[in-house]
Amino acid sequence: MSQRNVLLQVARRGGSFLSLVRKIWQHPKGRVGLIMVGCLALVAILAPVLAPYDPYDVTQRAAKGLRPSWEHPLGTTITTGQDILSMLIYGSRVSLAIGLTTGVALAVLGALMGVMAGYIGGPVDTLIMRIVDILLVIPTLPLIIVLTNLLGRSYFVIVLVFVAFGWTGLARVIRSLVLVLKNSNYVKAAELAGASRWYIMTKHILPGTSHLIIMNTTLTCAGIMVAEAGLSFLGLGDPTAISWGKMLAEAQGGGALLFGAWWWILAPGAGIFLAVFSFMRIGIVMEEVFNPRMKASSSIHKLFKHLNHSYLDEVFRSMEDDGGAESTEKPDPAEPSTTEGGHD
Amino acid sequence: MKRSYVIKRILYALFIFIVVLTLNFFIPRLGVRDPAERYYPPQGAMSDIEYEIIKQFTREQYGFDVSTFQQYIRYVRGLMRLDLGTSLRPGSPRVVELIGQRLPWTLVLSVTTLIISLIIGLLFGTLAAWKRGRWQDTLLLNASTISVALPSFFIALMLSFYLGFELELFPAYTNPNMVAEFDWSWNAIQVVFNNAALPIMSMALGGIVGYSQSTRNSVIAVTNEDFVITARAKGLSHTTVLYKHVLRNALLPLATSIGMSISGLIGGAIIIERVFNWQGMGTLFLEANSTNDYPLMMGIMLFLSAFAILANLVTELFYAILDPRVTVGDKR
Amino acid sequence: MLTRRGWLGVCSALLAATIVVLSGCQRIEYPCRTDPTNTLYVGVVQASFPSVFMPWLSRDGIAPTVASMLYSTLFSYDDETGEFSPSLARRWYYVDAEGKPIVTDSGSIDFDRLETHGVKTLTNPQTGKTERYLTVRVELDPRARWSDGRPVTADDVYYTLDIARNNYLSNHAGALAWTADLLHLYSSSGKLQLQGIFTYDRGAADCGYQIDEAERDHVVYLHVRGVLGAVTSLFTTVLILPQHLWEPIVSRESQLNSRNPDARMQHLYQNPVGCGPYVLDAEASGPALIVLRRNDLYHMTREDSSPLYAVETIRLILYQELNVAIYAVMQGHIDMLDAGLSPNYVRLFDGRDDLFVSVAEGTYTQTLVFNVNPVASAQTPMRSLLANTDVRRAIALAIDTEMLIRLVANGAAAPMSAGLIRESLTDFYNPSADILRGEHSERLQRANDLLDRILPEKDEQGYRLLDGERVSFSILGHPGEIELISFLEIQLQRIGIGIRYQAKGSSPETTYLWTSRFDMTIQGVILSLANVDIMLNAHFAALGRTSNYGRLVAPDLAAAIEEMRSTLNLHRKYELLRDLQPMIAKLYYKVPLYSPQIVSIARTDRYTGYQVVPGATVFNTTNLQQIRRLDSSGRTASSPSGSPGSPVGIVAAADKE
Repeated sequence: MSQRNVLLQVARRGGSFLSLVRKIWQHPKGRVGLIMVGCLALVAILAPVLAPYDPYDVTQRAAKGLRPSWEHPLGTTITTGQDILSMLIYGSRVSLAIGLTTGVALAVLGALMGVMAGYIGGPVDTLIMRIVDILLVIPTLPLIIVLTNLLGRSYFVIVLVFVAFGWTGLARVIRSLVLVLKNSNYVKAAELAGASRWYIMTKHILPGTSHLIIMNTTLTCAGIMVAEAGLSFLGLGDPTAISWGKMLAEAQGGGALLFGAWWWILAPGAGIFLAVFSFMRIGIVMEEVFNPRMKASSSIHKLFKHLNHSYLDEVFRSMEDDGGAESTEKPDPAEPSTTEGGHD
Repeated sequence: MKRSYVIKRILYALFIFIVVLTLNFFIPRLGVRDPAERYYPPQGAMSDIEYEIIKQFTREQYGFDVSTFQQYIRYVRGLMRLDLGTSLRPGSPRVVELIGQRLPWTLVLSVTTLIISLIIGLLFGTLAAWKRGRWQDTLLLNASTISVALPSFFIALMLSFYLGFELELFPAYTNPNMVAEFDWSWNAIQVVFNNAALPIMSMALGGIVGYSQSTRNSVIAVTNEDFVITARAKGLSHTTVLYKHVLRNALLPLATSIGMSISGLIGGAIIIERVFNWQGMGTLFLEANSTNDYPLMMGIMLFLSAFAILANLVTELFYAILDPRVTVGDKR
Repeated sequence: MLTRRGWLGVCSALLAATIVVLSGCQRIEYPCRTDPTNTLYVGVVQASFPSVFMPWLSRDGIAPTVASMLYSTLFSYDDETGEFSPSLARRWYYVDAEGKPIVTDSGSIDFDRLETHGVKTLTNPQTGKTERYLTVRVELDPRARWSDGRPVTADDVYYTLDIARNNYLSNHAGALAWTADLLHLYSSSGKLQLQGIFTYDRGAADCGYQIDEAERDHVVYLHVRGVLGAVTSLFTTVLILPQHLWEPIVSRESQLNSRNPDARMQHLYQNPVGCGPYVLDAEASGPALIVLRRNDLYHMTREDSSPLYAVETIRLILYQELNVAIYAVMQGHIDMLDAGLSPNYVRLFDGRDDLFVSVAEGTYTQTLVFNVNPVASAQTPMRSLLANTDVRRAIALAIDTEMLIRLVANGAAAPMSAGLIRESLTDFYNPSADILRGEHSERLQRANDLLDRILPEKDEQGYRLLDGERVSFSILGHPGEIELISFLEIQLQRIGIGIRYQAKGSSPETTYLWTSRFDMTIQGVILSLANVDIMLNAHFAALGRTSNYGRLVAPDLAAAIEEMRSTLNLHRKYELLRDLQPMIAKLYYKVPLYSPQIVSIARTDRYTGYQVVPGATVFNTTNLQQIRRLDSSGRTASSPSGSPGSPVGIVAAADKE
């Protein structure tokens, strides 16, 4: 019982988005993360201003394969003579755009499905969970490759598949939480008072899950950015856009390794790293901000851990090779009651 | 373990498999009026009439001349004979043949990576948990954030550059003759691992960090449980507590995460295989994609899905053995 | 949980695993560096290697190249001069109604008499129309042998050509064998309706075709369509198959080109028996390796009877990535690379004495193709602009090919005349078709003048307006052409035309070319003496699934092409070819951009004597015939089967009978 109360308190831990941001800012690591994300956003938005050359403009090409110099701090590409620094700056747009769009879309879809499954229960729940099981089994990366082959290479297809397959993780996590919230007193009171299902879902349950959603969205965005880089690396994205993953593919295909142009490979890699790292920092800090008391109590800690990280696997699984390593629990968390205690 | 539980899980797995294979059947028929055109794209100087005749031949050969439903039945029947179809490659090798040729090579990479990351991960994770709050722990936390943020293919590129091109310690790219010249001799095995070293290193990093993190969390969680505190209070030594009580329970959830990553064993290495040109399932799939070899592509997808379903099933049953409480009250 | 023994077990397992894994840490010696034999290691960049070598089964990748080394055609053809050289056959000539050769005193074809005495007519049973045809007599080289020892005979030629025409048994293998001009017709149910191939045993005498008893196994008569180009594809592209191996196996259930071959056919696919200069070593070959050994029974030799081909063994090694292969050449893992490199790589080879960099003249031209006549359902106001020749002319004038060559092709390309025939084909190149040369600024001015008359309105950015809408076209291309299209975008901006990149779809039926759903596209065009008959028609006259993407309908041009195709007088034909070029140029339908050169590399530490062959990489027959193996001291090794330093004189003694 006690853990349920704690959960409810977490859920109800009030404050608006702004107070959340303030709390993250106060946390030293969080501050770094926020600054980095801020810089990233600025770079993406102000790309035309910041970039010394316009990589899309064919007349601004220089000699191919130049080494880093004052005119071209990161040199130029071997294949086309574009300035690598400018490409790096413009590449942030794609990463950020796709990361955020997909993240938000996943948050919406996942939360919706989770709340419906958890609150309405019954056949809706069964149906949604069955769909989740089916989606989990199909390998995402090969599927994206097939669909890109059939429908053409574009970021639209990629985002579509990410959203179509990625909502499962968040949905399960939300569902677990909703199952707990469903039995809380004030929800029961609202039901007795005759409020409609939708009203309860939107006004009572959803806000209760909002912190979870936000935190997971941040981490999802991070994961999506890595996955998108991987897909662009395989050449499945829009061929006219400039993206970090595509820069890595061009570098490898253009013979950067042969020419010894290690900076061409390092630059986009560093870009991906910094972007993802900053998002993850914020996500992790958010977790600490929400639940300072959780560190003390271990089983809650364990519960929360598996609530949070068990779905990141599904995002990463197809991309990384030992993707299951993050989770500590079976990815179908049974009701909290099964996690108590150990046995000899 | 309750038999009804086992049967239920097997039936459920079967159900999922049927849904997946139906999806698999329909996907290549997406957006195409005439699959024959996709299987035999028109060659330049052919006349319209000639092409129509060829399309008719192609339809007959690939069975598009019957209704979709009949095609579906044939497809399912083929699956029951374990026939995943015939590739469009010249010589028409069977899909299962091709998979059989390449699968062991992917497993060489994946299984080795799994074992390495598991062992090192366990050790380091336990260490970090034991030294909670000290530098080992913080190092682990930072490493885990970093390893997620650094895509494995980027690590692969950097490794192939430094260790492969610059220092020439390992071949930067897989020797294409490695497969053909493999004859189970000691020398051949050396060659294999020489070529596999860089891919394994790229993949293992993430794995090690991941397993360390999970182990650490698991161990910490269990360490704070009442029964452990009780055991310590009883005066049992640290080591006994560690081995007999903590690890046993901490490793339980880890077992299931291993099970989860087994399903990623085959399909997960596509990008790394591509970077190093390792002739495994990943590159087979990419080859099929570049030559529009639909039977091969869908065959591999079905194989991967089936493998994932099987891995899940085995994991669930295994978990049920370890923790029988799951079999009771399985409310879904 | 684990006892001490358990831990011991785990640790020892760990140790064992570590030893196994670490055993991989060593420098591996690549076989090429240490192989003392006369073996050429060639890298090939493909997605995969074929496992079957049935010559008509595949046009993709390395299969046609290997097939052309394992099998032979009747003759080989020199693209530049139009001459046939003996291969499986030694001699051919047209015969007249009495069976006498239609040749001049010097032995060449007597074109004047050909028209009067050579042409006969027949009724085509399939179309009911009357057709003109010529009779050709082919004499095979009696020394030719299959690699299993049996001699190559007229029956093999009959069998090959016959089954190519019989779709019932060959499953349209004929479509890949280009025998359309052979008047030997089968119905779709496998019944012979018209015989066009005659040997001693098959009706030659009945038609009055003379074959002596002594030469009965080596003479074939053919009925070909009454055009000069009919023999070209028959003689130079059809790879002859051994009848004694294929005939027992091919049937309706197991067709020649079957995608589900039975066991016997599968065996024959994978263990090809041919009469070419090389033989496949099927046991040594594998999924990433093809081993070819010199065929000792090959009938063509040098004058001193030493083997024609200097390289004894060829190992074709598969690389799936170009950079990997280049790395392999630079490190010495292989001797040469059968792939055209981007000119970006040339810098990499600067200063390396151990590499031979071949920059060969290219034979194909990148052209910009306009959709001049879209089908009604694909018609748009923009595309209707393209139907206007002056608009196309303006666009063609505005293209700065020198800039494209410099920036896109890194200088490794040559400009091409608007007549689309290479200057090096001196016999029929027409300089007056080269109308797009000249000072670029002046051409730009002309272009703008032309467009000012048609599209005078412009918007604020200088783009022209059509009914208030900006004139903008999309160029259909694949990702490798994005650079090129970007440059075209800039260049055409200066005449006020907008350009954007449009991606090719994944499958033909949902996109573009045969459905007219494009404005412009980039197409590679190859026109050479060997293929003008077919290609000019396919590019500029025929509609449907041909290379005439823009569905050009130009009756004068079509008539001229037809006349060129059907004239039996070679000089007249060349004249017409010359006249065709200005006609093609003035249509501005396929505007040439540039002709990329072919850059390839080979190592010089094991072999020497490479030559640059136009239109080919370093892996070509000339090099295979003449490169020398160096021994370890760097001197030319004496080849085990003949005198070193034999001159390049190739052709076998033709009259050794």
